[in-house]
Amino acid sequence: MSKPFAPPTSTPGNGTIHLALLPPILPRLKTINYQYPLKLVSPAPLKSEDDNPFLVYTVYLLTYGGGLVAGDAIDLHVILEKTTRLILLTQGSTKLFKAPSRDVLSKQCMTVTLAPESALCYLPDPVQPFEKSKFEQQQIYKIELSSSPDVRSGSLCVLDWVSNGRPANGENWSFYHYGSRNEVFLSRPDGIRKLLLRDNLLLHDRMLGDNIAQRMDGLAVYGTLILYGPVFQHLGQFFMNEFKLLPRIGGRKWDSGSESGDEEVDLEAVKRANRHRREIIDGVLWSAASVRGCVVVKFGAPVLEAARRWLHDMLLEENTVIEYFGERSLLCLR
Amino acid sequence: MENPSLHALLLLSDSQLPLGSFAFSSGLESFLGHKKLSNTHLSSSASAKVAALQGFLEQSVANVSSTALPYVLAAYRNPETLEDLDNDFDASTPCTVARRASITQGKALITLWEKALSGSANTTSSAFKEVANFATCLKTNTPDPFGLQLQAHFAPLFGVVCAALDLSTFDTSYMFLLNHAKAVLSAGVRASVMGPYQSHTIMASTNLQGWIKECIEREAGSSVERAAVTVPTMDLWMGRHELLYSRIFNS
Repeated sequence: MSKPFAPPTSTPGNGTIHLALLPPILPRLKTINYQYPLKLVSPAPLKSEDDNPFLVYTVYLLTYGGGLVAGDAIDLHVILEKTTRLILLTQGSTKLFKAPSRDVLSKQCMTVTLAPESALCYLPDPVQPFEKSKFEQQQIYKIELSSSPDVRSGSLCVLDWVSNGRPANGENWSFYHYGSRNEVFLSRPDGIRKLLLRDNLLLHDRMLGDNIAQRMDGLAVYGTLILYGPVFQHLGQFFMNEFKLLPRIGGRKWDSGSESGDEEVDLEAVKRANRHRREIIDGVLWSAASVRGCVVVKFGAPVLEAARRWLHDMLLEENTVIEYFGERSLLCLR
Repeated sequence: MENPSLHALLLLSDSQLPLGSFAFSSGLESFLGHKKLSNTHLSSSASAKVAALQGFLEQSVANVSSTALPYVLAAYRNPETLEDLDNDFDASTPCTVARRASITQGKALITLWEKALSGSANTTSSAFKEVANFATCLKTNTPDPFGLQLQAHFAPLFGVVCAALDLSTFDTSYMFLLNHAKAVLSAGVRASVMGPYQSHTIMASTNLQGWIKECIEREAGSSVERAAVTVPTMDLWMGRHELLYSRIFNS
């Protein structure tokens, strides 16, 4: 680590968040700087609700005007030192405004470096691309591994989701181009690094004979939740278990309308049954996969709020995020 | 001989190639289940099914070309990066069902290479050395410092095998996508969406040829870092294949 973070520059859209640690356990927001159109706001940190209360910092990622105008470029660097915990939030969806022509691209790039035992919770509002917008973003997460095998790695709970625009204005996936890439790299103290996960989505209006709305098949929102590291192991397992227990597609419900009515006595099963009913009514489709130490959850829904509620309920029910980061972490999902 | 690679081309495009591709529907079975178009839903009309399958096929070809074709081409052009490509493809396939399908066929291709194809390959090419080396490493498969192992994903291996057999870039790309379309269509026939004549009507159509050519043009200069999912619902259908009450395919 010769250069822990880039020197402050006056380039528009650049920003740095550096969460340092005063040993033994006091985190401190050492650097927080930003340039127009990016704006970072950090409210007072709150204590976590787990057995070892720890100060959790929160930073709101904002942009002037609530979104990106054509040609804007945001480049944010986030550094989490050992054992620190950071919540990143937004205030409302990130709006992508109309581009003057197909050649003008707006961009957003965020690079997060996670030292061992640190944890990031990034559950923002969805990105909302307006008609004729053109946008690409990438989120790069660098997990720094320790040379000692007893030291646990950093942990990630990050959400990336995009909506169909402004349906009230008749928009339905009416943008030119939207790309979002999430990458997780592992890096060892000796400098060797490896790609652990890449999730890259590209929606372009002139790609197939159809339009994007047809390709999205009635969904109004589509998203990916990525979980990695010891802090979120239980949460990952929860998603995997719940996915396995989803009702079979095309199966007959032989057990419905039973006369005894004494099944579903355990609370968990009742909750699950209710959730399944709601998923069917709301049209929430989701799948979860456990690969290479990550759990990746993909979901879509015909209404934005249905997806928001579903994700909120899942995270609330399992409770790791609330315990470890406090209730503020779920603000964007309420 | 007029075209020295013709023999290899015909071998690799043969539906009898023992890669087990017929066991995979690339999400078609799940799609039909979600859309209530499978043969257990008697209400759906035959023409609705065929129309749905055609739409699915176009999207599936586009998605496979945007996610996998850059890996085929990268391995074809730079065989020495095969192990990295295998890792990166694995990292870019966060879907249990798609990953399983890719690895199963990749391993079958390695076996086929060792038992048959290597005999007629160009032994002086770097692709030849790299496939042979990969096959050897796969046997011991020691984890790297991060605890990750070789997986044998199909797309990069296909590219490097084609390079070792002296196929052209275009033939390699075209065959990769046409083989995929064939597998989806044959799954459609076995899932009783349509009959073999209808399936071949689509297979021989200029529509399909156009889609494949467009995809090849689009991905020709695309780097693997830019490989992306372009039809996100494919990920949902594929991922949810495991939730089907009854299934005849592995993907």
